[in-house]
Amino acid sequence: MNITGPRIYFIIPIFGGIPITQTAVSSFLVMVLLCTAGVLLGRNLKKRPGRMQVVTEKGVSMITDLVSDAMGEHNRHWTPYITALFLSSLLGSLIGMTGIFRSTTADLSTTATWAVMTSLICWYQSIKNIGLWTWLKGFSEPIKVMTPMNIVSEIAQPVSLAFRHFGNVAGGGVITTMVYWALSGASAALLRLIGSGWIGIVVTLVLAAVLFLVHRKGKQPGKIRRILGVMMLALALFGVLHLTGVLENVPFLQVGVPAVLSLYFDCFSGLIQAFVFSLLSMIYISNACPPPEEKPES
Amino acid sequence: MEGFENFIGLNPWTALFTLCNLVIVFLILKKFLFQPVNKMIDDRQREIDELYNDAANAKSEAETLRADYDRKLTEAKSASAEIISEANLEANRRSEEILRQARIDAEALREKAGVDIALERKRAINEAKGEISRIALDIAEKIVERELDSADQERLIEGFLRDMGDQL
Repeated sequence: MNITGPRIYFIIPIFGGIPITQTAVSSFLVMVLLCTAGVLLGRNLKKRPGRMQVVTEKGVSMITDLVSDAMGEHNRHWTPYITALFLSSLLGSLIGMTGIFRSTTADLSTTATWAVMTSLICWYQSIKNIGLWTWLKGFSEPIKVMTPMNIVSEIAQPVSLAFRHFGNVAGGGVITTMVYWALSGASAALLRLIGSGWIGIVVTLVLAAVLFLVHRKGKQPGKIRRILGVMMLALALFGVLHLTGVLENVPFLQVGVPAVLSLYFDCFSGLIQAFVFSLLSMIYISNACPPPEEKPES
Repeated sequence: MEGFENFIGLNPWTALFTLCNLVIVFLILKKFLFQPVNKMIDDRQREIDELYNDAANAKSEAETLRADYDRKLTEAKSASAEIISEANLEANRRSEEILRQARIDAEALREKAGVDIALERKRAINEAKGEISRIALDIAEKIVERELDSADQERLIEGFLRDMGDQL
């Protein structure tokens, strides 16, 4: 078991060597997919919409409403940026499920770039809206002693944003790897135990028979019993294969269990983290862009 | 050559690629998805609003026209009733006048007829006087068997007629 960062495919030998990593490839692929989808969906719009256009319009207005709810009506124009962030993050996490590509969000370079981007936007907007001096003065409020703390919290904002997203996705990957490793070890141990002699196989078959056949009268064996029985049969089969030397150390326990983990870490966590990341970005940016002051009515 | 990066590490080139990709996705989504879709939604909204406005306008216009027609119809009805009653009055007046005129005319005719009758009677009396005087003269001639001279004859006839006229 070794846990590493993204694989470097090759290095372009200019500018002192540009490494093309798994992240770069996935990121490029995500960009291409999103752009293609965007262009295809935004094409051939009609006043009388077809099915696809209805769905597109619904999605666009839903996300626009979401952004204007979270950021205020005056910040609607941030919707494309937030959407780009959200979709890049979501698809970047989900692309890891293909098994061919690595999740872009499992690389700190990606999440840190997005976080710094958001922070830069915040700072630029703040300076634009309230002026450089007022913005700088804001760090020494409410009292002067707080200045270092304020600066640290301002820096902590992108750092926490980046590490939260990275940590969740990469941590999920690490846990999945570890579970695979553990399951492989467990199945090897089980096979050693069962496949050491015919006694083990007979015991397993007897257990399977008990699970299938012994039950109260007039009642079918329950679902869990049947699954366990099938597992026992499979165990006996792999034991025979191990004993006869046809296939040794089949990591059969790796079937099934990681699917549940993948469902959680890839699908659920990917969605939640994409949502959290874009929601926090929205909140930070909307803090930097307060609603325009009400003009006194003359 | 192949290798692996650190698990936790920052690669500036990857960061640059990510930044470029994010910016590209942002621009493409904005230009090709959000702007056209929002424009389409707004356009449709505007069109629907216009249609509703037009319908509302047409309805209010129709209401106005209907009220107008109703008012005009009522006016026309009252006007026609007025005209009819006026015509009736006029007709009554005219018939009264015609009747009165007819009565006057009849009266005049009757008066004229009376005068005519009187004149005719006078003429008839005169004619009868002449006839009678001639007969009386014939009778007198036969009686006296001679011709009187004309002066005597005139005198005699006058005297006779006077007597007779007084008797008549």
